[in-house]
Amino acid sequence: CDRTIFSVNRHQVFRINVRNGDEISKLNRLVNSDNLKLNLWKSSPALGHPADVLVPSVSLQEVKSFLEDHGLEYSVAVEDLQTVLDTEEQQMQHNVHQELSSNCFNYGAYHTLEAIHKEMDNIVKYYPRLASTVTIGHSFENRSMYVLKFSTGKGRWRPAIWLNAGIHAREWISPATAIWTARKIACDYGKDSVITSILKKMDIFVLPVANPDGYVYTHTHNRLWRKTRSVNPGSTCIGTDPNRNWNSSFGGVGSVADPCSEVYHGPHPHSEVEVKSVADFIKKHGNFKCFIDLHSYSQMVLYPYGYTATRAQDADELDMVAKNTARALATLSGTQYRVGSIFSVIYASSGSTIDWAYDNGIKYAFSFELRDTGDYGFALPASQIIPTAQETWLGLKTIMEHVRDNI
Amino acid sequence: MQLRRQPLPAPRPGDARPAAQRLAGPLLLLLALQGAAASGGPEDSGWLQDAEPSSRLLSQAARAALHFFNFRAASPSALQVLANVLDGRAWEDEKRLGKCSAQVFFRNEKPRPAVNVTCSQLMKKERRQEEDYHLYKLMKQLESPLNAVSIPDSHGYIAPSLRPIWDLAFLGSSYVMWQKTTPFLHYYMSQISSVKQWKTNDDAIDFDYTVLLHEFSTQEIIPCHIHLVWYPSKPLKVKYHCQERQTPEEASGTEDGSAMALTELSNF
Repeated sequence: CDRTIFSVNRHQVFRINVRNGDEISKLNRLVNSDNLKLNLWKSSPALGHPADVLVPSVSLQEVKSFLEDHGLEYSVAVEDLQTVLDTEEQQMQHNVHQELSSNCFNYGAYHTLEAIHKEMDNIVKYYPRLASTVTIGHSFENRSMYVLKFSTGKGRWRPAIWLNAGIHAREWISPATAIWTARKIACDYGKDSVITSILKKMDIFVLPVANPDGYVYTHTHNRLWRKTRSVNPGSTCIGTDPNRNWNSSFGGVGSVADPCSEVYHGPHPHSEVEVKSVADFIKKHGNFKCFIDLHSYSQMVLYPYGYTATRAQDADELDMVAKNTARALATLSGTQYRVGSIFSVIYASSGSTIDWAYDNGIKYAFSFELRDTGDYGFALPASQIIPTAQETWLGLKTIMEHVRDNI
Repeated sequence: MQLRRQPLPAPRPGDARPAAQRLAGPLLLLLALQGAAASGGPEDSGWLQDAEPSSRLLSQAARAALHFFNFRAASPSALQVLANVLDGRAWEDEKRLGKCSAQVFFRNEKPRPAVNVTCSQLMKKERRQEEDYHLYKLMKQLESPLNAVSIPDSHGYIAPSLRPIWDLAFLGSSYVMWQKTTPFLHYYMSQISSVKQWKTNDDAIDFDYTVLLHEFSTQEIIPCHIHLVWYPSKPLKVKYHCQERQTPEEASGTEDGSAMALTELSNF
């Protein structure tokens, strides 16, 4: 756009209040008059909603007189449109420059799989001594199962924490929280005493998108897809619920054998390559002390079991940690989380991540159901990403501190 | 070498419902509600902290009561969301919230619980009527949003100009969700997936749309075709037809014997 041809020097935007039908028609007359060359910026004037009108500099005096003569209430919303446009242009150039030069990833927005993986690489680039990536396998459609590893020590099998996210494709707040958390871990190491002491003792692994095929599908086809995208022989229905596919009371209550169901457990335990990749990695490592799985929605901190009402052996301790976690989370914005075992608080579910982790020696196994409690549900507005991640971080630190002090 | 914990024996089918949940009488609840617009930020939802199986049932019943309340109020400008399921002791802190007591009765575990709900401290009737009328006028001026799909969009965003559509759709969905709630099934509205018709040439708003409901215990997404007729301060007229995956019969129903015929059922 050639600036000299299109100049809005000293053009102003008037905000005019319309208090009754009479004023609406007066305003319409003003706007529609040929010689003044006015432009309505927003929708037509309506009761209680001010109208924004662009007034070219030549018409300023006439418009002011008209408004005053007819007793119409107004204010000048924009004193000089050119200044606003210039500033905006500057901002945009700045942002583009920033993005190109330092790859600024907007943590307050939802991203594609590619963008998340790219940001994981960026975190490694900026924190090379702390962070590295590991590809632990590939999805059904051959996308990488990409994990960030944070480690301060030598030795490949230090006690470790696993943060799992995005296993259910439509729960977008989960990967969004995980990538923010990864960045937070990297950023705060060496500055925050809690995370520094945790990392001194343990490694942290973050898998932001545990179900990459499903996640991509929610971007390209169906925002409310949940499962994997594996083919079910003999059925037109696609996918298995990856959180019913783990080898812990596989096929039990709260999971079904129908491939068309959202809670289809799959043909056999770990049939889903996405599940098998994580399970095998963790078993092979052999020294995981904590497994945290991020889901949405309902606002809960949950511990095993999901497959039975019977209390887990460590239920008392886990319940205490979970309560402290919810309490810490609430300190930021007052967000309230419920606490309890999966079975008692949410519903029966067999073959879930944390039941498997717990039954395989990982005592500190917790599942989060993040914001909200149903008003937006899965389609949580992006404006809530950072507040959610910030408060969840306080909860995660509570768990990790307890693990640090008890292993 | 890590100890492999002995997994507990899997329960028999039917164990999923603890005995305490067999319902002999109505569930009594105290709820705190707040305006949907007011709750746009961090969720202030406090819940019963005890992890009893019955708290799950209570929160489901509370949701049914909320759906019924919103439907009966027929006020898209004053939609309520659940702020708290309380017990008697927690009331004093909730000054800015509406307080309700509700009785929810599931007869023979069937859907459409009988709900008795009375509230205090909500928006005054006159103010609510004013807001509704204002909303009605805005809707009348709205260009037919037939090309609007997915409200909210994938990122959870609802354009301010489309907000009235959402509010009205939510009102109709509240009726449907109340109708379908059982002790084992409870619903949330996920998204408006399409707007088929938006007519305002008579006095009332005639709104025909498809909504995606999320059923929590099965995690299923259920498309429902809803046709409602709304005029401020009048009871809502709703017809609906949901595409159930699980049950072979289709679930549908009407309210108030609306004069408008539900068309395009076969195309659904």
